[in-house]
Amino acid sequence: MSAQPEGILASYRFVDAAADAIRTLKAEGYRNFTVYTPVPNVEIQHAIGHRVSPVRLWTLLGGLTGCATGFAMTLWMSFDWPIVVGGKPIGSIVPYIVIAFELTILFGALATLIGLVFHIRRTRQPGAYDGRFTDDRIGIFVPCPSDRRQAVETLLRTAGAEEVRVEA
Amino acid sequence: MAEGSNGMDRRRFLTVLGVTGGGAAVLSGCSKDGVEKLIPYLVPPDNQVPGIATWYATTCRECPAGCGIHARVREGRAVKVEGNPAHPVNSGRLCARGQASTQGLYNPDRVRQPMARSASTGEFSPISWDDAIAQITARLGAVNGGRLRFVTGHEPGTFGRLVTEWLRAYGAGGPVAFEPLACDALRHACRTVFGLDQLPRYDLTVARYVLSFGADFLETFGSPVGQMRDFAASHGFHDGGMSRYVHVEPRMSMTGMSADEWVAPRPGADALVALALAHVIVRDRLASLPADVGRVRGMLDAYAPDTVTERAGVPAATLERLAREFAAVPSVALAGGIGAQHDAANATARAVCVLNYVTGNVGRTVLFDRDPPAPPATYAETAALVQEMRSGAVGALFVHGADPVYATPAALAFSEALGQVPFKVSFARFMDDTAAQCDFILPDHDPLEQWNDSIPRAGVRSLQQPVMRPVFDTRQTGDVLLALAQKRTPVPQRLTAGSYKEYLQQVWQGVQRDLGDRRPFDTFWMEALQRGGVWGQAPSRTVSLARGAGEAPAADLWTVEDGKIALIAYPSSVLYDGRGANRPWLQELPDPVTKVTWSTWVELHPETAAERGISEGDVLEIASGAGVVRVPAYLYPGMRRDVVAVPMGQGHVAFGRYAAGRGANVLGLLNGDPTGFGGLGTYASVTLTQSGVHEVLPKTEGVPRQLGRGIAQAVPLAEVGHETEHGEHAVPVPERIEGVLDQWQERQDEETEYGNYDKENLQRWGLAVDLSRCTGCSACVTACYAENNLATVGPEQVRHGREMSWMRVERYYQGGAAGEPFEARVLPMMCQQCSSAPCEPVCPVFAAYHTPDGLNGQVYNRCVGTRYCSNNCPYKVRYFNYFDYQAKADPAFAWPDPLQWLLNPDVVVRSKGVMEKCTFCVQRIRDRQHQARLQKREKLEDGEILTACQQTCPADAIVFGDLRDPESRVSRLARDQRGYHVLGDLNTRPAVTYLKKVRNLVEA
Amino acid sequence: MATIAREDQLTRPTYHEVTRDIAASIGNPSRSYYVLLGFVLLVLAVGVGALLYQVRYGLGVAGYHPPVMWAVYITNFVFWVGIAHSGTLISAILYLFRSAWRTAVYRTAEAMTVFAVMTAGLFPIVHLGRLWYAYWLFPYPNQRQLWVNFKSPLLWDVFAVSTYFTVSTLFLITGLVPDVAALREQAVGWRRKLYEITSLGWRGTDQQWRHYTRAYLYLAALATPLVLSVHSVVSWDFAMSIVPGWHATIFAPYFVAGAIYSGVAMVVTLLVPLRKVFRVEQYITVEHFENLAKLLLLTGMIVTYSYGVEYFMAWYGGSPYERASFWNRAFGSYWWGSWTMILCNGVLPFFLFFRKIRRSIPAMFVLSLFVNLGMWFERFVIIVSSLSHEYEPYAMGHYTPTWVEWSILAGSFAWFFMWFLLFAKNFPTVSITEVKEIMPMPRKERQHS
Repeated sequence: MSAQPEGILASYRFVDAAADAIRTLKAEGYRNFTVYTPVPNVEIQHAIGHRVSPVRLWTLLGGLTGCATGFAMTLWMSFDWPIVVGGKPIGSIVPYIVIAFELTILFGALATLIGLVFHIRRTRQPGAYDGRFTDDRIGIFVPCPSDRRQAVETLLRTAGAEEVRVEA
Repeated sequence: MAEGSNGMDRRRFLTVLGVTGGGAAVLSGCSKDGVEKLIPYLVPPDNQVPGIATWYATTCRECPAGCGIHARVREGRAVKVEGNPAHPVNSGRLCARGQASTQGLYNPDRVRQPMARSASTGEFSPISWDDAIAQITARLGAVNGGRLRFVTGHEPGTFGRLVTEWLRAYGAGGPVAFEPLACDALRHACRTVFGLDQLPRYDLTVARYVLSFGADFLETFGSPVGQMRDFAASHGFHDGGMSRYVHVEPRMSMTGMSADEWVAPRPGADALVALALAHVIVRDRLASLPADVGRVRGMLDAYAPDTVTERAGVPAATLERLAREFAAVPSVALAGGIGAQHDAANATARAVCVLNYVTGNVGRTVLFDRDPPAPPATYAETAALVQEMRSGAVGALFVHGADPVYATPAALAFSEALGQVPFKVSFARFMDDTAAQCDFILPDHDPLEQWNDSIPRAGVRSLQQPVMRPVFDTRQTGDVLLALAQKRTPVPQRLTAGSYKEYLQQVWQGVQRDLGDRRPFDTFWMEALQRGGVWGQAPSRTVSLARGAGEAPAADLWTVEDGKIALIAYPSSVLYDGRGANRPWLQELPDPVTKVTWSTWVELHPETAAERGISEGDVLEIASGAGVVRVPAYLYPGMRRDVVAVPMGQGHVAFGRYAAGRGANVLGLLNGDPTGFGGLGTYASVTLTQSGVHEVLPKTEGVPRQLGRGIAQAVPLAEVGHETEHGEHAVPVPERIEGVLDQWQERQDEETEYGNYDKENLQRWGLAVDLSRCTGCSACVTACYAENNLATVGPEQVRHGREMSWMRVERYYQGGAAGEPFEARVLPMMCQQCSSAPCEPVCPVFAAYHTPDGLNGQVYNRCVGTRYCSNNCPYKVRYFNYFDYQAKADPAFAWPDPLQWLLNPDVVVRSKGVMEKCTFCVQRIRDRQHQARLQKREKLEDGEILTACQQTCPADAIVFGDLRDPESRVSRLARDQRGYHVLGDLNTRPAVTYLKKVRNLVEA
Repeated sequence: MATIAREDQLTRPTYHEVTRDIAASIGNPSRSYYVLLGFVLLVLAVGVGALLYQVRYGLGVAGYHPPVMWAVYITNFVFWVGIAHSGTLISAILYLFRSAWRTAVYRTAEAMTVFAVMTAGLFPIVHLGRLWYAYWLFPYPNQRQLWVNFKSPLLWDVFAVSTYFTVSTLFLITGLVPDVAALREQAVGWRRKLYEITSLGWRGTDQQWRHYTRAYLYLAALATPLVLSVHSVVSWDFAMSIVPGWHATIFAPYFVAGAIYSGVAMVVTLLVPLRKVFRVEQYITVEHFENLAKLLLLTGMIVTYSYGVEYFMAWYGGSPYERASFWNRAFGSYWWGSWTMILCNGVLPFFLFFRKIRRSIPAMFVLSLFVNLGMWFERFVIIVSSLSHEYEPYAMGHYTPTWVEWSILAGSFAWFFMWFLLFAKNFPTVSITEVKEIMPMPRKERQHS
């Protein structure tokens, strides 16, 4: 974690409370706050309203690359060392489909994970964190300069925060 | 020989010509260090080029047939022997035993230097040659010449003569030429019927009808290779016809498997069959009877078919029919095989002599040569020697080239008698059962290391020359005898020769004189060496019936004792009388009939076995008056229900690691006393009892029936050409499918850009196997072992089906159930080199691939051993290295020193974990192609390349060549109407075409 | 979303309790755990010893009897690949179908998948004549430019199995990340280190979840066809050959069904003791077993049907070779194998039509053992009996395994259980996150009312 910005960390027990807080934050014009949840939660996601993750593009491209590689490799290698077996053509497409298929899956899966890591790193925001957020609490961290702390704190509390901590 | 293979023969003959001259020059004089000069290649001798084989013409001494051979020598070591194409006895072909002769040369159990038994411990210890000769001279001095006896093998040649003269020099009587398989019955019969003390020669090429009374003329009887060549020539289907062969014996032997009809008389009653035939022929004047037929007419009257049918166990109608068939064409009746030599065998032989005579075959197909070679001793003479020894009348016994302790019935007690002899000297090459009892062993050279000659038959003198430097510190017995003789004063004037070679040349000067050859001796000698000997047509004499011919021969038939079953002890077509038992190739070669290896078995008819609650592998205790042996049972439908049969050849006490203590010696069951005609009786009355032990027979066969899959197909002579297209094919492929398959194949060819499918000027190697010629003798299998460095795996692994024989001869039983006639078919199965080979595409690493000239190549070094190719091979002709047969350190090592010397340098020895297979001897193909390239020849001549199996096949059943060349012999055969592909419906497109067996059946 | 169990019998734990209960299964192994692990390692040692012996002397020490060139080793290969299948099926396919009950069992299934593939992957190598050259099966660049034969089904295997191993491993790890993050917080000592590393800095931020859920979805989408392809490819090892008894178009679906069948059986075999030992009965309930039972019943019926089709086609196809092969399979020297297979896979599963049996955990356990046995015999019978009775009567033979093969088989089970034991004590065998996921989060409203 890079240098942690100062801001306010609130933790919630109730999912709807947290959702309220998020909505009001957005209404107030806060953008770069972070929400921690132990499990992915539809309500929260709607409240935040991210666009669909671009990871799927990676999957697609990875898959296509794999398929192409599969055919390219099998055909090139066959003709690079052209040996007749069982009276079959040197480059027999049909059996190579199997290889191409497997590579499609392999590359697709690998690309997906690379994409996952890549995007998570790209969208990472430094911020305070509490261990309970992976257990049963929902956390919201709002980075803000000291002069606006008061406003944010009251906002979060009114939404129903269990506790609010000032991170400086 | 195929006219196609002449080109190749000429070429090889030239090699021999060029080489043997030099070779002989080098080897002449003191031959020992002659070849030694060949080893350091700093100054290569002109006749030794590294990597180029040289061929020496010599003679095979594995059996008395005396076939001419060429020994292939690489870098001073003999690596293979092949038949000498120019030789009249075998014209280039060889049997399994001949192929395995190199395993005698390099046998790890050879006696490696002279040995003497110490009086105190009784153990053998090495001794120098000089000491040995000195001591023996001393001991001999003390022996009165009259008490000196000498047992040799059958030596119809210079060596026999030397021994005789040597003995004479000591004032001793002549040698006993011991030959276990001597045809005493036949000889005796010829004496009584024709007054000739000699064996006839048969011309099977002339005979259109062969009738064998238990004579295994394709196995051990007479000159098997030559006879098989002639038999195949007349009995093999050609130009729409073939001769007919009827086998008369209670058991169908390997020879009998080739028969068109099998007649099984009561054991011992076969004489009656022959007599009944003769009776009918004389009665009905079926042939132009000879003038002196009167001498036998009276005797024959007593043998009308319906009077003998009961005792003979053969329907009278059959006898009548056979007689007419027999008299209708030039025919020949054979008798006198050791396998049928029961106590009344001379009756059979006499009857057969009469039969041949009255039919007019004598002089036509049955020939008596003038001055035939000296016959071997009869069994009676051997028995007499035993008496002598037992009575203590023998002071010293010399034994050479014979193992009488093993090869005579235990009842004769040769071994005990030998104990009575104070001084025994053996010249054995191996520590055999006899040598083990001697005081001195002076190991002789192997036939491939020695100078000698042999007279297989009148008019043929075959030479033997050393093809390489002796492997061990052995010495030619001829030289030893001369040395001993020359220790005497005065030196006997006939034995002054400096060496046996010199002695031999002296004899040959006489030979040259007899031939009226005026040239200098050296020229004559050199030429003879290159050719392999000298030979011409022997004049045969006209014979007539002797006074004894009229006596009733069948007065006393051999009959089985009450409550017992008849036992037939027959010679093994593979191990002969047992002298082949120390050759791993022969031990592992499946018996042509039973497909059992490495052991002895007793054959019973399945019904006989069922009655007695015996199943295959049950170890039976066989007891006769003479003794008891224990052998496992094998159920063989090819025999009468009232006989059992046991092969000879196993059960050695000594004789090295491969033979000692293996199987049982059936001679132990035979009566020791000579039969009435002075021979060994090979039939006995025995009782069978279950020993309670069960063992798995080490046989190479899975299921003995074809399950209607048309693997080995046959067609009656009458139907050749008219038979349905697919004959006995398991799945007839409909016409339309045929078309589709063809189109598919063409598309494949177009789509494949490389290799076999490149249509231009590339060969497509193929093989054609004519099943109407193949007799199943399995010489090809051993030839393959020799050529391709196949490992022998031993009985335990054979039980696991892990034998390595790239080529196998499959034998299938047909019929045999009540009523239907029994038939056995054989089919040599090697890699079919399929065009659409199932084995190739499944190999993940391209170890199995298709060569441009259409072979299924196998890259041993690339193979990782997935064994998928073998799973996918419908013919199951791929063999996997389950152990490290090539690693000296490994327990499975197959070539104990010096056996590895016979490995073919042109073929890699495969390592553990790789798949290996037949590639049509690709090394031979490439070699010939290189030769052609060097000689700037565009194309190879047809028949220039011979695969090892084809080269040795005595029946000339296998033809190799280029299928792309429509004129090649193989192409013509492949187009033959009898041609078919095994499992052709799988569309594997094999390159091997089988030509259906043709059976010359009588029209019912 | 659905719930773990029906409302009436539900005493729903809180998120915190979930974390606590499942985390409780981890760490501080008991004495019996070590005894068990020790035994497993001992058996593994025996297997390794047998393998070394075989490498030294050659495959001859195994019972191979030409023409039976493939035997117990390939049987084990197919068996373990089969086991590997239910894992991905349960986690991926059921995930796509959004069936909630998977959440409690899929982690075990996935772990089992990975370890089973690790076991299966050994056998193609163990059975090689020259296993030290096994790497020749991969198309790696080499100075002599020798490539591999992509037409060979064995090459397809190489790609299919290695892909399957990679993907299912990644799938398992991905699923683990949030759980590990949850464990990270209360873990201590070296485990904390372990979790800190393996949780890859997971905090459950909105962005992380945003990408994570997508990625997981697509992984599942990729894994699903993969499962089906892998066992099809394995079946083609046989179907592509010309061996009577192997050469059949039904093989792919037949083998896939069989694979899932055996896999589910193995899941049951593992879950029954596991839920007891780790006291997670509350999460892995009878409901789950009933659902698994239904899967078993379905696949079991497909398999039984396939047996029928095989025999029918052998007769209907009219090829004497096929007929002979199947006659030999049923009444030949391997009849015992065939009938064991039919009893275990074709008869016993039909008891699952009874709800009582589906809901009786002991019954399910016993049944699953029988199915495992039956599926092993299925492969043995297909491979060995077909090979032993091919085209050439002369070359037919009978095969019996040797102690070497049995030891290596035992060793493979040991290898599998070794990994599973190690896993079970260090990672959650029930998915913490996903179990929570299907329980609604607490809301203010409910509190007030």
